[in-house]
Amino acid sequence: MACEQEEARGRRNGALGVVPPPIGRWALKLTRRRFIQGSAAAGAAIAGSGFLFGGLDSIVRSPAAKSQLPFVEDFIPTMCWVGKQDCGMMARRIDGRVVKFEGLAGNPRNAGTLCPKGQAQIGAIYDPNRVKTPLIRTNPKGTTGRWREVSWNEALALTAEKVNEVRARSPKMVLWQKGRSKAEKFYDDAFVNAIGSSKLGHGAYCSDAGYRALEYTIGLHGVQHPDMRSTNYLLAWGWNITNAGGNKFCWITWPQQLVAARERGMKVVHIDPRLRSAGPFADTWLPIKPGTDLALALALCQQLIEMGYLDRPYLTTYTNAPHLVGDDGLILRLPGEGDEMVEAVWDPASAGPVRAGSIESPALEGTFEHAGGSCRTAFEVFKAHVVGYTPEWAADITGIAAGDIRTIARDFGDHAMIGSTMVVDGIEIPYRPVSIMSYHMAQQELGFQALRAMTIVTMLVGAVGAVGGVMSDFTWKIHKNYEPFGDLRVDDPPYDFTLKNSKFFPINTGFPGMVAKVMADPGRYGVEEIPEVAILHMVNPMASFPDRKQIMEGYDKFKFVAVISPWLSETADYYADVVLPSATIEKYEGPINASDGYIDATALRIPPMEPLFESRGEIDIYLDLTEAIGTLFGEGGYLDEINKGLTLEGEFALPLYVKPTVREIFDRWARSQGLEGVSYFEEHGVQVKGPIAADKRYGYAVDPPFGGALHRLYGESLLVAQRTMRDKGAEEIYWQDYTALPTWRQLTFDRSPPEYDLTLISYKQIEHKQSRTSFVPLLAELSPGSRVDINPSTAAARAIGHGDPVWVESQNAITGETRRIESVAAITSSIRPDTVGMPHHFGLWTHPVNRGQGASPNEIFYTGEGYMGQTADQSFHVKVRVYPARGEG
Amino acid sequence: MAKYAMAVDLDRCQGCRACMEACKIENNTVQSVFWMYVFRLESGEYPDTKMSFLPRPCQHCDNAPCVKVCPVGARYKRQDGLVLTDFERCIGCRYCELACPYGVNYFNWTKPERRQYLDFDDPGIAAVTGGVLPPYQNPDLAVKHGEEQRLTAGGGHFKGVMEKCTFCVHRVEKGLQPACVATCPVGALVFGDVEDESGEVARMLRDRAHFRLLEEAGTRPSVMYFGGAPPTGDSKEIETVKARV
Amino acid sequence: MSTATQEARLPRGVGRLTRGWTIFILAMVAISALGWIAYIREFTQGMTVTGMRNVGTMGGATWGLYITFVVYFVGVSFAGITIAAVIRLFKLDHLRPLARMAEVLTVVSLILGAIAIVADLGQPLRGMINLFRYARPQSPFFGTFTLVISGYLFASLVYLWLTSRRDAAVLAQRPSRLRWIHKIVAAGYTDTPAERERHSKTTFWLAISILPMLVVAHSTLGFVFGLQVGRPGWYSALQAPAFVVLAGVSGTGVLIVLAAIVRKMMVRDVGLNLQVFAWLGRFLMLLLFVYVYFMVTELLTSTYAGSERELQVTREMLWGEYSWIFWSAVIMLVIPLLGLTIQAIRRSWSIPWLVVSGIAVNLGAIGKRYLIAVPSQTHGQLLPYVDGSYTPTWVEFAVVASLLAFGALVIGVFMKVLPIVELEETGHA
Ligand SMILES: Nc1nc2c(c(=O)[nH]1)N[C@H]1C(S)=C(S)[C@@H](COP(=O)(O)OP(=O)(O)OC[C@H]3O[C@@H](n4cnc5c(=O)[nH]c(N)nc54)[C@H](O)[C@@H]3O)O[C@H]1N2
Ligand SMILES: Nc1nc2c(c(=O)[nH]1)N[C@H]1C(S)=C(S)[C@@H](COP(=O)(O)OP(=O)(O)OC[C@H]3O[C@@H](n4cnc5c(=O)[nH]c(N)nc54)[C@H](O)[C@@H]3O)O[C@H]1N2
Ligand code: SF4
Ligand code: SF4
Ligand code: SF4
Ligand code: SF4
Ligand code: SF4
Ligand SMILES: [Mo]
Repeated sequence: MACEQEEARGRRNGALGVVPPPIGRWALKLTRRRFIQGSAAAGAAIAGSGFLFGGLDSIVRSPAAKSQLPFVEDFIPTMCWVGKQDCGMMARRIDGRVVKFEGLAGNPRNAGTLCPKGQAQIGAIYDPNRVKTPLIRTNPKGTTGRWREVSWNEALALTAEKVNEVRARSPKMVLWQKGRSKAEKFYDDAFVNAIGSSKLGHGAYCSDAGYRALEYTIGLHGVQHPDMRSTNYLLAWGWNITNAGGNKFCWITWPQQLVAARERGMKVVHIDPRLRSAGPFADTWLPIKPGTDLALALALCQQLIEMGYLDRPYLTTYTNAPHLVGDDGLILRLPGEGDEMVEAVWDPASAGPVRAGSIESPALEGTFEHAGGSCRTAFEVFKAHVVGYTPEWAADITGIAAGDIRTIARDFGDHAMIGSTMVVDGIEIPYRPVSIMSYHMAQQELGFQALRAMTIVTMLVGAVGAVGGVMSDFTWKIHKNYEPFGDLRVDDPPYDFTLKNSKFFPINTGFPGMVAKVMADPGRYGVEEIPEVAILHMVNPMASFPDRKQIMEGYDKFKFVAVISPWLSETADYYADVVLPSATIEKYEGPINASDGYIDATALRIPPMEPLFESRGEIDIYLDLTEAIGTLFGEGGYLDEINKGLTLEGEFALPLYVKPTVREIFDRWARSQGLEGVSYFEEHGVQVKGPIAADKRYGYAVDPPFGGALHRLYGESLLVAQRTMRDKGAEEIYWQDYTALPTWRQLTFDRSPPEYDLTLISYKQIEHKQSRTSFVPLLAELSPGSRVDINPSTAAARAIGHGDPVWVESQNAITGETRRIESVAAITSSIRPDTVGMPHHFGLWTHPVNRGQGASPNEIFYTGEGYMGQTADQSFHVKVRVYPARGEG
Repeated sequence: MAKYAMAVDLDRCQGCRACMEACKIENNTVQSVFWMYVFRLESGEYPDTKMSFLPRPCQHCDNAPCVKVCPVGARYKRQDGLVLTDFERCIGCRYCELACPYGVNYFNWTKPERRQYLDFDDPGIAAVTGGVLPPYQNPDLAVKHGEEQRLTAGGGHFKGVMEKCTFCVHRVEKGLQPACVATCPVGALVFGDVEDESGEVARMLRDRAHFRLLEEAGTRPSVMYFGGAPPTGDSKEIETVKARV
Repeated sequence: MSTATQEARLPRGVGRLTRGWTIFILAMVAISALGWIAYIREFTQGMTVTGMRNVGTMGGATWGLYITFVVYFVGVSFAGITIAAVIRLFKLDHLRPLARMAEVLTVVSLILGAIAIVADLGQPLRGMINLFRYARPQSPFFGTFTLVISGYLFASLVYLWLTSRRDAAVLAQRPSRLRWIHKIVAAGYTDTPAERERHSKTTFWLAISILPMLVVAHSTLGFVFGLQVGRPGWYSALQAPAFVVLAGVSGTGVLIVLAAIVRKMMVRDVGLNLQVFAWLGRFLMLLLFVYVYFMVTELLTSTYAGSERELQVTREMLWGEYSWIFWSAVIMLVIPLLGLTIQAIRRSWSIPWLVVSGIAVNLGAIGKRYLIAVPSQTHGQLLPYVDGSYTPTWVEFAVVASLLAFGALVIGVFMKVLPIVELEETGHA
């Protein structure tokens, strides 16, 4: 076994022995500037071109060949600025002008390669439509902006003034909102702490429900991904394989590991309404009905139990499966040391309940009489809970044949090789080469419970944290949410505007859509204070988030909005009072994790050139802004917070009363890491720290196993929360899914009238990145605009032809509201007939390239009750009808 | 003398089109010109749908129809296998394009500077680039290549001449991989000397079955496809690019 | 007045500028001018101003109206020179009145063909030099364009000159404003029996040598399309012969029209009598018959024996985007065929009918040239590209129109400088 592991890795390297020599060579060349001799030939090329009709030829000679030789060539390592995983890049420069980005061989995440966005970003950097100077609005908000170009001083002064106005009263009413931002330490932590504002992320649109589900269930911060080097059987569950991320990464790393795994023989079962996502990489395609993943997961659990594919030792030792649950659904507790109560398990020997952990092998199954009442093990409860969830039952709901569900369950169970182990780094670890890759599965109405159920599928066979099994984060770090989730807070109003610890969403990370709803009508949610000033950092809610209407109602309430962005985002266009132009790639940023899950590495973004126009890096901007606000220096100031964030102590700590340059900050940090300084990164781009040891990666191997977190099969605290919510008068729609065990119920969107007979889903395209690339012309050329993927039979029934303009009209089953957008039909056999899909990258309007690209589904999705999860997360599903737009609008 | 060839591993290709972008940027080609093109194909009926991807550079045919028909010898075959176009000799008759069964030739329908991606004559940008077009202009393309010393590298040189994939002659002569090969995230593209037994291409030819596109046309392509299968009559192209200007 | 009377004495209306003629010439000049404006656009802005685009991802046709007309013009020239040569070789004296017209027609259409090619080049200036400087005989393009246009344009010019020399000499004996031209053309020829003898010998051999040369030339023209593996529907052995025959058809058609016009213009009978037209009619009928036969077999082979891709092209042509062109072309060719056959059987020939047929078959021929060139580019690509489309722009139409106008212009002028119908051997000496 051990050697197989080695082999696997060997083959993997072979597979990825694609690291292109040139880049390797560059890596050596970095420091040496190359001076290219303008060869005679080159001279001749220029002169020779005119050999015919010298003068006339110049009519047709394009400037493309006019470049002057000789020239100076050099290479600067930096990082992709478009994507989520910051692939390492090498910028090739000619006389200081960047002419190309290529993958940086040394970076474990992309091993010298780049995706189309990584390549095309050079077009974005040289975009003349970037915001060139700070702007101040000259017309009323809520419509396309008119602007006055101002100096940085004026823009910063105004922002500082507005911020301070509110800070004086209540700092939390200053809201710092970010999208998929990068250097958290400088932004989310240092800046936010320094001005004491509230902060809001984008996770409720990304996969926070999944993060919460796994933090709750196994204590890790992440969704699900396979130990790809060793997995043999993978459920690609809503993984957009050939286009987008999956868990944690942006893209490249996963496909690299996927092809290596498939060359090893890994099987892929693709569970997705679209086949396009997996392309040719699905061995089996299960076109599931959108939003019904929970049902499928439950059926798989039922089958695994029925077929006896159970890892009893794991369930007994590392999960709360053996814990005793009373008739009231609460876990039986016994007095422990002092007055603390300890959860009880059943001791077959003494035929009585004992404190969990006090005995080796408590009963995993069984119903017992105790103290007059009867109690069952959590596992017994779970078994009873899923009996009804048969393949036949699931077939009706998911649209997947019962036979297929059985086959998948059996194959999954077989491939799990329950009981086997493998020696990795000298440690013998359970070997369960079956896994799940899921990410955006979180973004559905039942997302939290669906992810819980999907995790339980892997728990039953003991694949969590096993070799070849399911991972969630790169290392086995228990997240700070794990503990508190054991006892959820449900307070009485008034609530803060994020509804944290409210009777509506006891688990809640902060959902911009919900915040917008609250801001529009605070009373309804028992909120008294709403934010007055917003600083938007790398986020474009108007374009990236549903639902636009809702967002606008909320943003109308802000007294002042400052947007930090390289482009005039749609949100800025409508709501910014001040726009601060940030640099794109031309800035220092970091430190950024560069691990591929197997090798530990850290990288920095190094500016390959000076910021274009008057733009600046965010860190520069925050240094100036905090200075203007008056919170740069001293204890608790921005500098102090940076010291804390980067743990810069002693000689490395930034003096609290001198304004440093950004490079100097990174230089201190680099030295604090034992490197000669930032120059290390300016030369190598990335610091590779070596392989992540087995005892960091595999839950079984860490000490204590699984970081000491008991895996929650049974979610008692959810049930408790539900009861409190009801006591406090929350409506059913809020508490219905707070159940101890994942429970299926009819989906809200399925209650829409029958004429809304299709389900709209949205997805990402490999050519585009959220709302930040559809205006990059090189990419817009590859993927020109909005479209509606529709199955041939569905299209035929509606007399819709390929390329026809169509209306997509959605209906809100709760409010009855309808909305419609126009798009273009794309007929494809790789989507369910009852489902239509749209990319979410379009529908922008501020950039000339965006004109005529068509609409975004985010205009017709809904935010709010019924269209969000129990943890305050956006669902990207809605019922629609699609009809030809010919003649009309 | 090396004999260059490209191996395309269809069992790896993700259809991501990074190769297309790398090619465009490296070779400074203008709008709607795709020396490298990646087909995204669909066949079969739901739910038995099959998808496949097919990268299509110039095949650098050993028996190249395009070379045969060129009336002025601007399109020529080199000993090392590269099929190149002499941008200073081409008269723009577009006969090579018609002779080519693979549709890989692109003509400069207008002045290249009229087909740039953005209006780059911006003072802020010119300050950095000195006003060259495109701003990421690659100077290697202005250099004459090969012992024949002809202007053959890169795109966007003249209005009214034919261009196509050059196998990145300017990189290959520097000992670098072609741009598309270098960027491919999953190593689906492999480039090298077929005659070098120890080389990757030769190894693949030994170990795995392969096919070439339109072999029946007798063009003897230098691009070999591993895994997957040739497109059939019922392969339907989806997700076409914005290709008409 | 006196000059007028003098000129009145020049035969065949040479030098007589009628009002109709002047208007016609001005009109032609105007149309040509329009073409120039269009072409200057094309030259400065590039061929992006045409409807042509790349095949493949760009979904266009890279050869369009220009090449269609190149092929058409060269075809016409072929018929011209053949007829002329045949008349002289076999001493078909009753057809002699056609000879000069045929020769002029040849030269003019060749010139038009040449211009059309240059108009189709992305680098016209280079083209004019490189096509010769780097000529590659292996390329069918060479066979067709370089050889045909240069070689055989030169030959037929010489030929025309030799055959016009005598008439020039005759005219040169009379005083007129054009006398100097006639002197130059006559170049010392005085029509002595000895000269006459040597003269007819050279023309005879020239004629003999031209014939094979042009068969080769036109076959290669067919091969330009015929030999392409790259284009489904082009790879057809029949192409070359079919080309030659259709060329004959269009050429004869034009000749009929031209002859009819000249017949009307001439005050005195110049021998362009019904017989001549009857002969032309029969000749056209014959060629049409052969061509229609080719057309049918070609269709059958492509509809039954054809590959998947070739079928696509044929389908497009018969029922798809191009069907309207195809079927009108068929009608334009078949109706005249029927008409002519009937007349042939009835042995009664109507000149108007012939003229109509002449025009019809030419439209038909142009249609067919278009269908050979274009559909195989936009459809039935060998790799799974989506289908393309091609619509010529006003620039292309303007350039083509001006070419036709220019041709008419040249012929019109020629008529007024030298006799468009040869002077009888005997007569004024
Ligand atoms: N090219 C590109 N890559 C990206 C990004 C990008 O914008 N562009 N964004 C990055 C970010 S921020 C993230 S979060 C990741 C996201 O990465 P992924 O989650 O892998 O990708 P998505 O496209 O968001 O959604 C995945 C799939 O879910 C399917 N799906 C939709 N509804 C359902 C359902 O109800 N059930 C099931 N089983 N499947 C369903 C869709 O068809 C889609 O194929 O990608 C990252 N990588
Ligand atoms: N319908 C639908 N909607 C979705 C999704 C979906 O699957 N379906 N996916 C969701 C997911 S997973 C996510 S993560 C969110 C992401 O949502 P966002 O994070 O809002 O989207 P982005 O487009 O990545 O970035 C937003 C803004 O950042 C600006 N920006 C770009 N670079 C920089 C920079 O360097 N500095 C600064 N200051 N600003 C910059 C861009 O101009 C853009 O306006 O979208 C969500 N939206
Ligand atoms: S995968 Fe993401 S991070 Fe990597 S190059 Fe592509 S866009 Fe950039
Ligand atoms: S870059 Fe590689 S994987 Fe992507 S399309 Fe091109 S060949 Fe396929
Ligand atoms: S693919 Fe086409 S262009 Fe390339 S060599 Fe072959 S025939 Fe010539
Ligand atoms: S277009 Fe240029 S390269 Fe192609 S055949 Fe004509 S001259 Fe040769
Ligand atoms: S080899 Fe070079 S020119 Fe050819 S497709 Fe690849 S990148 Fe483009
Ligand atoms: Mo995300």
